[in-house]
Amino acid sequence: MQIIKSFFIGLMLMIPFLKTYASELKDSASFGFDTYSDNNDVQVYSPTFELMKTISKHWLVGIKLRVDAISAASIRLGSSPSLAKPDAQSTASKRAGFDDVRYAPTLFITYDDGENTATVGGYYSTELDYVGKAIFANYTRQLNQGNTVLGIGFSQSADTWSPNNNRTLPKDNRDEQKIDLSVNQLLTPTTSIQFVYSYMNSEGFLSSPYPYMIQNGEFIGFENYPDTRTGHAFAVKGLHYIDDANAMNFSYRYYTDDWDIDSHTVSAEWLHGINDNWMIGARARYYTQTGSNFAKPLGEYSSSDKYVASDYRMTSFDSYDFGIPVTYKPSLESPYSFSFSIDYYWTSDNAYIQNWFGESNIQAVYTTIRVNYEF
Amino acid sequence: MKITLSMKLLFLALIFLFNGCSDKLVRVMPYEKEHFADPKMSLSPLAERAEHEGHIFLIREASAGGDSAYQGGCGCR
Repeated sequence: MQIIKSFFIGLMLMIPFLKTYASELKDSASFGFDTYSDNNDVQVYSPTFELMKTISKHWLVGIKLRVDAISAASIRLGSSPSLAKPDAQSTASKRAGFDDVRYAPTLFITYDDGENTATVGGYYSTELDYVGKAIFANYTRQLNQGNTVLGIGFSQSADTWSPNNNRTLPKDNRDEQKIDLSVNQLLTPTTSIQFVYSYMNSEGFLSSPYPYMIQNGEFIGFENYPDTRTGHAFAVKGLHYIDDANAMNFSYRYYTDDWDIDSHTVSAEWLHGINDNWMIGARARYYTQTGSNFAKPLGEYSSSDKYVASDYRMTSFDSYDFGIPVTYKPSLESPYSFSFSIDYYWTSDNAYIQNWFGESNIQAVYTTIRVNYEF
Repeated sequence: MKITLSMKLLFLALIFLFNGCSDKLVRVMPYEKEHFADPKMSLSPLAERAEHEGHIFLIREASAGGDSAYQGGCGCR
């Protein structure tokens, strides 16, 4: 199932998210449960656990455990299934109750002396036909009495395919490097701005091993992308304190790569403190991208094409997101805090989505819930 | 738009600029930083949402990057 593989592939560029705030290291634990559900019957349930323990004044070790249980048994093939079909053999990875389950532990250690913060770690994820391994490191340094913060992050993944349709891939690896450089600057007592540049490089088998294209009864070929990809992203982000009850954050990102995919992402969020215990907000996000230089309109592929795409992400489309975050802390002294978020995400109409899923666009709802405890 | 060498150099120059003009970049004194300690003043006010949606946007879109480990804070210890 292409969508399942896509879910896991998407994780590989993701440096495990480790927030760095300019504050003292604390012992903490959190339990969470994330969900994702869309109009193509894809459902993902992700229980999470995180434990951070200081081992000295400046050192902290952490572990994060995440499980992605995915159900997508009733994916529809679309109204034009003769154009592109998923390989039915991929369902061999089914497990009782879910179509696939991914386990992903992350271990890391952090040093923080107030001016310098450094984290190194690694993660490992496993499922029946894919193993992901990665190491990552990031470092931030405060300058100018904390008005300026420079950051650098690096990650390297080395993943391995073992497709369950017995297909022999031209390469079974998927290796990715990512470097993030950032500068954060306080502008006024109520406003800060951040600039980020990211360099991303991928090598190996970068498409999914399962989807293939059939056109007018002719087998065109399996989905196949170039085996290297280099991307760059520039982002600017800002924070503004409006008054004691209100604040907002915003971001803009430009992305470009050597597959000729360009994108623009704009996001803005407003947060409102109802009282000392409750905070609620609203966030809107808009995304637009161009198509890759090898994706063609459906029906125009030929068996002589070197590259074949059946994934709508290789074509141009827009997406939108609107979400509501809520946090609750019983009291200022309480070691407990709770958070919840719900987002509605939808794409513009797209012929590839129509062909694959039988829906004109993708509509999804995703949620997060966390209980945090500091001790 | 393609990334040129000059754009990369510009970014590096920005880093050196921020690192080298200390006096001009001390724009907020320590006693004025209280607002940056507010939980609302974070680039990712819900870290778990940022992580989860990061996964979702990566599987639903063809772009990535633009992330920083630093999400805000007051520098007050």
